[in-house]
Amino acid sequence: MTDIALIVNGENKTVSVPPETTLLKMLRENLNYTGSKLGCDVGDCGACTVLVDGLAVNACLILAAQAEGKEVLTIEGLSTLEKYHPIQKAFEDVAALQCGFCGPGMIMATKALIDQDQDLTKQEIKDALSGNLCRCTGYTKIIEGVVDAYQEITGKKIPATKPRVA
Amino acid sequence: MIRRGKGVGCMWYPIGFTVAANPSAATVKVNEDGTATLLTGTVETGQGSLTVLAQIAAEELGVSTDDIHVVSADTDTTPMDTGAIASRTTYVTGNAIKLAAENAKKILFEVAAPLLDVQPNQLEAVDRKIQVQYFPQRCLPIADVALQAQFVMGRPPIGSASYNPPTVGMDPETGQGKPFSTYVYATQCAEVEVDDETGEVDVIYMSAAHDCGTAINPMLVEGQIEGGISMGIGFALQEEMLFDDKGRQLNPNLTNYIMPTSLDMPEIDVDIVENFDPTGPFGAKGVGEPTAVPTAAAICNAIFDAVGVRITSLPATAEKVLRAIKEKNNSEQKFIPAAE
Repeated sequence: MTDIALIVNGENKTVSVPPETTLLKMLRENLNYTGSKLGCDVGDCGACTVLVDGLAVNACLILAAQAEGKEVLTIEGLSTLEKYHPIQKAFEDVAALQCGFCGPGMIMATKALIDQDQDLTKQEIKDALSGNLCRCTGYTKIIEGVVDAYQEITGKKIPATKPRVA
Repeated sequence: MIRRGKGVGCMWYPIGFTVAANPSAATVKVNEDGTATLLTGTVETGQGSLTVLAQIAAEELGVSTDDIHVVSADTDTTPMDTGAIASRTTYVTGNAIKLAAENAKKILFEVAAPLLDVQPNQLEAVDRKIQVQYFPQRCLPIADVALQAQFVMGRPPIGSASYNPPTVGMDPETGQGKPFSTYVYATQCAEVEVDDETGEVDVIYMSAAHDCGTAINPMLVEGQIEGGISMGIGFALQEEMLFDDKGRQLNPNLTNYIMPTSLDMPEIDVDIVENFDPTGPFGAKGVGEPTAVPTAAAICNAIFDAVGVRITSLPATAEKVLRAIKEKNNSEQKFIPAAE
């Protein structure tokens, strides 16, 4: 067993797990943060995306021990009981999620993208979310939600694409 | 060279099969605080059906959608439903819920009528009130009527109903009959860019016009159509299960079974063509599966428009398109006889 000390959603945690445990397995099974989803377990689907020191990572692809001493943010760390995070609010407002399994990963990937505080274009949003698979929505409303959240959080505007049909 | 092409795909799709029993049942109970509880056996898989079903019950009872508490998909407590299949939920389950709400409303009207000195058939339920038609100032809050019904009249306002699109047997001789209750129609247009040196196809624009009866929740209809298009694009260009000669799947994970990502999605224009269907709840039909039907046809037609080749087996991968382009070029090569 390995003892791992890390910060999850702002709280100090110490966990004792076998050394081969992935960060995702530790979050879900030892710390009970089941918001991060186990989709493919090989880094294809992005449903397990969490932030480690502000960077979006597939929690199924890194070992829990690699997060030693680092700050991990999961979907549970975004909202409080009273208030949604602006990204969650934007996703809800445009009905960006259907079955919702990709949702925690999509939202965390969005947070990592918006936190970089760069001027974003729609294409860059599509690039940033291309590692998160979604079978229900066709991504269209998810991207709308990211655009809304970005504009709400940063106050910047993303130019709307010209409508094809008048 | 990148070549651009446009293509159209059209379809019709049946809603509510009638060749076999296809029932849904529902119970609506109006509570003494003016809210209502809806029991339905159908399953929400993310398409938003419970929202739409709550909207149907709310509209019938004249309350807000927020006032409806939905209990669904529990075989211990909820009535029978054939299932969230065949794009039938809004149409069949919606009809059952509308009938159940009507039955509950009938009790409310019978209780309210003597209090308002009118006949039950002169009443309507609007804005959380039971009111006299054309005389909206003569009204009672639904909560008061429900309370009166339960504790004074001893008639709790509960309605149960089931709906089964009339089963019509097929003629065993001719195979003719009426297999479905109603039909929806759609047209999708695709604009693609095809690289004639690599065969790569990029869908850059899709436009989708769908008839779904009354769009009870247009935002959810849009979500269904956009999701259907992404599945259609995967079907047309990317997704294929490959097996070896022993029947083992060669691409059993998402690294090599390629499904669309956000980068594969084109700009999409959705056009909801509303068309009241008298047999559906508030004129609604359905929109689920039809959204993925015409996409691949539209894309393959657009490929033909761009580079003049017909792809007749899906997915239209770059390899297949390039092979077809080469075959076409070879067959069009003019034979120049050697000079004598």
